[in-house]
Amino acid sequence: MSAPPLTRRQAALALIASAASLASCDRPEEEIVPYVEQPERVVPGVPLRFATALPLDGYARGVIATVHEGRPVKLEGNPAHPGSGGATDVFLEAELLALYDPDRSRAVREGTRIASWEGFLSAFLPPMRAASARGGEGLSLLTGHVTSPTLLRLIDELRARYPRLRWHAHQAVGEANALAGAALAFGRPLLALPRLDRAAVVLAIDADPLGPGPDGIRHGREFAARRAARREGGGFSRLYAAEPAMTQTGAKADHRLALPPAALGDLAAHLAARLGAPLSPPALPPAAARFLDAALADLRAHPGEALVVTGEWQPPEVHALVHWINERLGGAPAFVEPPGAAGDGPAGIGELAGDLRAGRVETLLVLGANPAYDAPGELDLAGALRGSQAFTVHLGAWRDETAALCRWHLPEHHPLEDWGDLRARDGTVSLCQPLIRPLYGTRSAAWLLGVALGRLDDTSHGALRATWSARQEGDFEAWWRRALHDGVVAGSAAPAVPPPPARLPSLPERVAGDGLALALRPDPTLWDGRYANNAWLQECPKPLTRLVWGNAALMAPEDAAARGIGDGEMIRLELAGRSLEVPALLAPGTAPGAVVLALGHGRRRAGAIGDGVGADAYALRRAGAPWSAEGLAAVRLGRPGGLLREQPGQRLEGEAKELFQTLSLDGFSARRSDPPPAPSRPPSLNPDAARDTYAWGMVIDTTLCIGCNACVVACQSENNVPVVGPEQVAGGRDMHWLRIDTYDLGTPEAPSPGFQPVPCMHCEHAPCEPVCPVAASVHDAEGLNVQVYNRCIGTRFCQANCPYKVRRFNWYGYADGQEYANQGAPVLAAQRNPEVTVRARGVMEKCTYCTQRISAARRAAEREGRPIRDGEVVTACQAACPSGAIVFGDIGDPASAAARLRQEPQHYALLGHLGTRPRTTYLAEVSNPNPALDDGAA
Amino acid sequence: MSAAGEGLLPPGLGYGQLVGAVADPLMRGRMGRWYWTAFAAALLLTLVLVGSIVWLFIEGIGIFGNNTTIVWGFPIANYVWWVGIGNAGTLISSMLLLTRQPWRAAINRFAEAMTLFAVSIAGLFPILHLGRPYLSYWLAPYPNTMLLWPQWRSALVWDFAAIVTYLLFSVMFFYIGLIPDLATLRDRAQSRTGQVVYGILALGWRGSARHWARHDAVYRAMAAMAVPLVVSVHSVVGLDFAAGLMPGWQETIFPPYFVVGALFSGFAMVVVLAALMRWGFGLQSLLTARHFEAMAKVILAASVIMAISYGTEWLMSWYGGERAERSFLRHQLAGSDALLYWGMIACNVGAPQLLWLPAARRSLPVLIGISLLVNIGMWLERILIIWDTLSHGYLPSMWRPWHVTVWDWALLAGSLGFYALLFLVFARVLPVVSMHDMGKLRHEEGGSR
Repeated sequence: MSAPPLTRRQAALALIASAASLASCDRPEEEIVPYVEQPERVVPGVPLRFATALPLDGYARGVIATVHEGRPVKLEGNPAHPGSGGATDVFLEAELLALYDPDRSRAVREGTRIASWEGFLSAFLPPMRAASARGGEGLSLLTGHVTSPTLLRLIDELRARYPRLRWHAHQAVGEANALAGAALAFGRPLLALPRLDRAAVVLAIDADPLGPGPDGIRHGREFAARRAARREGGGFSRLYAAEPAMTQTGAKADHRLALPPAALGDLAAHLAARLGAPLSPPALPPAAARFLDAALADLRAHPGEALVVTGEWQPPEVHALVHWINERLGGAPAFVEPPGAAGDGPAGIGELAGDLRAGRVETLLVLGANPAYDAPGELDLAGALRGSQAFTVHLGAWRDETAALCRWHLPEHHPLEDWGDLRARDGTVSLCQPLIRPLYGTRSAAWLLGVALGRLDDTSHGALRATWSARQEGDFEAWWRRALHDGVVAGSAAPAVPPPPARLPSLPERVAGDGLALALRPDPTLWDGRYANNAWLQECPKPLTRLVWGNAALMAPEDAAARGIGDGEMIRLELAGRSLEVPALLAPGTAPGAVVLALGHGRRRAGAIGDGVGADAYALRRAGAPWSAEGLAAVRLGRPGGLLREQPGQRLEGEAKELFQTLSLDGFSARRSDPPPAPSRPPSLNPDAARDTYAWGMVIDTTLCIGCNACVVACQSENNVPVVGPEQVAGGRDMHWLRIDTYDLGTPEAPSPGFQPVPCMHCEHAPCEPVCPVAASVHDAEGLNVQVYNRCIGTRFCQANCPYKVRRFNWYGYADGQEYANQGAPVLAAQRNPEVTVRARGVMEKCTYCTQRISAARRAAEREGRPIRDGEVVTACQAACPSGAIVFGDIGDPASAAARLRQEPQHYALLGHLGTRPRTTYLAEVSNPNPALDDGAA
Repeated sequence: MSAAGEGLLPPGLGYGQLVGAVADPLMRGRMGRWYWTAFAAALLLTLVLVGSIVWLFIEGIGIFGNNTTIVWGFPIANYVWWVGIGNAGTLISSMLLLTRQPWRAAINRFAEAMTLFAVSIAGLFPILHLGRPYLSYWLAPYPNTMLLWPQWRSALVWDFAAIVTYLLFSVMFFYIGLIPDLATLRDRAQSRTGQVVYGILALGWRGSARHWARHDAVYRAMAAMAVPLVVSVHSVVGLDFAAGLMPGWQETIFPPYFVVGALFSGFAMVVVLAALMRWGFGLQSLLTARHFEAMAKVILAASVIMAISYGTEWLMSWYGGERAERSFLRHQLAGSDALLYWGMIACNVGAPQLLWLPAARRSLPVLIGISLLVNIGMWLERILIIWDTLSHGYLPSMWRPWHVTVWDWALLAGSLGFYALLFLVFARVLPVVSMHDMGKLRHEEGGSR
């Protein structure tokens, strides 16, 4: 069979067409290498782990990153690192999503125009030469809090080269008050490192050591070390907290006192006076006096093990007072020299604002700071920047509020893409290594500082090696490999400094303002606003209030009632001529007279996720007294504020207290000597689960849970749990597999919240299984209640019948075509854990006990021909937990940690009477109240 | 029989007049403006239904107001309600036939049609409510490459079987009852098309004594099967909830309570439709006050049983002593949805008590008003069974309010429109009153005279 002959014209056309089609499938111009020989160490499907460190307010927290084929997909704590100790917090977990944020800056910009690096250099070098000629006059550098030895070295070089350079550092949260307080007490700024694990009695005066912060993970771990009630016994500390609004520390405290911010200073002064200080503060209310008596007696009864801490939000005088008190009590925390530059420290943001206004700045370099958003509203730094004629350069990973006001914006590497070094709060150095090639054409801060020094081809890698090769003797390469491998530099912690005798500060005269007192706080999920564009963190319910996608002014119910303000209503806060509209949240436990508001919201140029979410509390912030202000007025606006809470405040009363069981330490001791309770077995017609293989189970110790949400975000990161966005949350459709139920167990006057993390219970007699018509919800031999996504047709009977309501349904294709905002951007697909299915629309999903991790452990064990060892399977939530509240293991093995916890006297199953036989069980919250404060309410 | 049949037929009505009254509107009558107005309205709502379903398939079931806690909502309530509506038709046809209630003759035909349409529409909802509706056939036990059967312990599988059985049975029962009338229409048809179509459907019915004898035997046998089937289908619908573990669902009373509830709403729907038919087709001579009074008594009896059921639920929730059950009861009676709940009680228990008065039973406007209230009340009951229980389960942390979207309403309104459309078409092409049953009644009455 022969083809019909082509005409000449047809033949010519066919030739052209085939040539065109061939030309379009050509190889790239550069040389590409076939995957015939595997790159060293890379085995497809087998992840690699690398140690590095990530900053929060400049301080390092060590992480171990899991990298699949060159993509970091999960961050976990580095056990060797003092700042993380193997656990994480929400910020560490979510930094991964920040790496893949589709809104990250990708291009050099001059104004709004996209420009080139070469263009920037040719514009930047002439003013720098001019500045050099003037000895640096008119040249300003603005950074965040810098602990990096390499960056500090480069800044020192810069100051040597430009002697009149002005260096400003701005950290919206920071620890300026704490350092100033230490300077008052000791004559020089020392960094206090409270050791909660060495304290038998802790009094927190307006402090939230268990809350978010650069050292929050360490505090959580140390707190837990003294709070584990176990049959074998062990010291159990007692925690007192006095604070204006409920914090995680207040929630965990055995005794809590609500006082407005200024009265807390009085409390500290009274404490000092009782210890012999010549002070005569104003009288305390009777309840506070009683609280103080009991706390003081307790502190005195534990010499050397008593600790008083105060928070950054208290003025320096109170910090100094607390140092003095600790010295008297003999339980002073360790002190170290704060990491910093050799010479004078940097100036603050206030000076920069003044310089800008006065026209003293000709060239300004902004490195990793966003003052146009997070400087106190009083300074109007954005206005100063806008009005300035200076040559302004911003280097940052996002084109944020400050970038938009600078003449040049340069895109910066994400820390996970960059070489660097950081110090933890105790001074330990970590070398940071990039886990991925930069996603975009970005550069590092070390490069820009190099350029300013006239070295155009500096790299962060080169700068890092230059810093450390100069400091190491011996085999540098071996040291280098060791440091990178471990994630910490051994023995680099700052030596403890014996503090000089503490001086008693002179307390400022307290001016009693009328109206309410405003207390500003960093946001527990957005911190100072830098994480506002992080969808995981926006949707992570804030501890205690369980607010998502926004902030609220926390008010005492009686204050709100006096002003006719209802829960969730919009109010206007007015302070010294500035005002802010924000929803009110009537939070029991808020001190009457105080209004507590979180910073970090209301970003204007965060990106598709964070823009315009919540109210920008910086507008009310003052430069002199950044954390509190008297004379606040709250005006009811009479319209709903649209608060989104995943759980309204709920009090458990009467029989409902069975859901969250509590026990005093005495009650626990009484039960401890009893023989282990026989496991309660509600009658059942169904056969018992077979126990011929592993029987996976989880025990959650509510005594240790500090409600920090690290587990929630870790689960989201590990299991590809999608973000649904505020509209869907408002409809009640959040997708978190693990939630932290927060119940109030106290009274309206003395609330006592309890945290109860609720993952899937993996019931042995699971109510979800018999109701599924297509057998998509089934049990496996090891006791996991598994969901077969492919088989699920979406009847949702399983969730309807689940007494714990732990299942989550894909009402839309949240991860599969109908994503919220920019969450469907292709770059985010790189974050997905390849070992976990991305669920489609219309199927049910839920906690799997991280079945992929069990499977990985099983493969490893089978390869070695041994059973899986106890502790070998660590679920994502367990790995994240700073306080070790979550224990997972084979409960069929009586020697396993989980099985042993199930024998503890305070062990119980949630809704156990239903006969579901949950594999996830709880240890009741054990508290250690002071009998002297026992008012019979129990 | 004469006493029971008294007043069901106008005196002196001949067979010819009887057949003419029913068949003439089909054969000759031109439908009036009311018919076409109603038809247009029903068609419009049907288009809303189709549009909603198309949008549902494009967007996913997120368009409904359900959430993580209240995973079910309108579609399941609509399903249970529609199944309930369907109940009365079969019961009227079969139970009243078996118990020889002569008044059924005038209403059984359209009551059966009502069943058929209601069950068909009801069957749509469980499919439309699925997350992946295109896989709904996995509920059916068929040999497949996945080597998987449905999961027999699930009430939804029983439900699927019950609904399919009920639907198939209703079709057959309806059709068998229709055969003699189809033959009548074939014989009276004016057009060739009518003769052919009715002729084929009449399956060669000639009205011989043997035909009648066999028809009667089959029909009665099927009626005998229908009664347990009606009870079973509604019991299984009740088990959808009662087999669960949630407070407010885990109640042994549910199966009988659902059967009675279905009877209740079904009869109320029959009253409404009968009144419409009577007016629309001028059937005053065949659908008399006696019929309405008999149905009013059934509604009254059912409402009393419903009241006892509600009372039993309350008592058991309290008496059982379980914390969650008692909390649920408090929520039901005094919680955020209490207004709806008491509205439902007013509709289902309060309003029908008027029917103790003979005057109210005989007043058509009053009876229609009460019937409409009963239908609204029963729909409220269906939605509250879902909302109350799911929004107030065991763990307070997951208590959430429900939401309703425009699509929830669109699907409900669309289904009502589709129902009306089916009915209007039925009324135009098939006899709405069973002519042969009425003839038999005429014969029995005439014989006694």
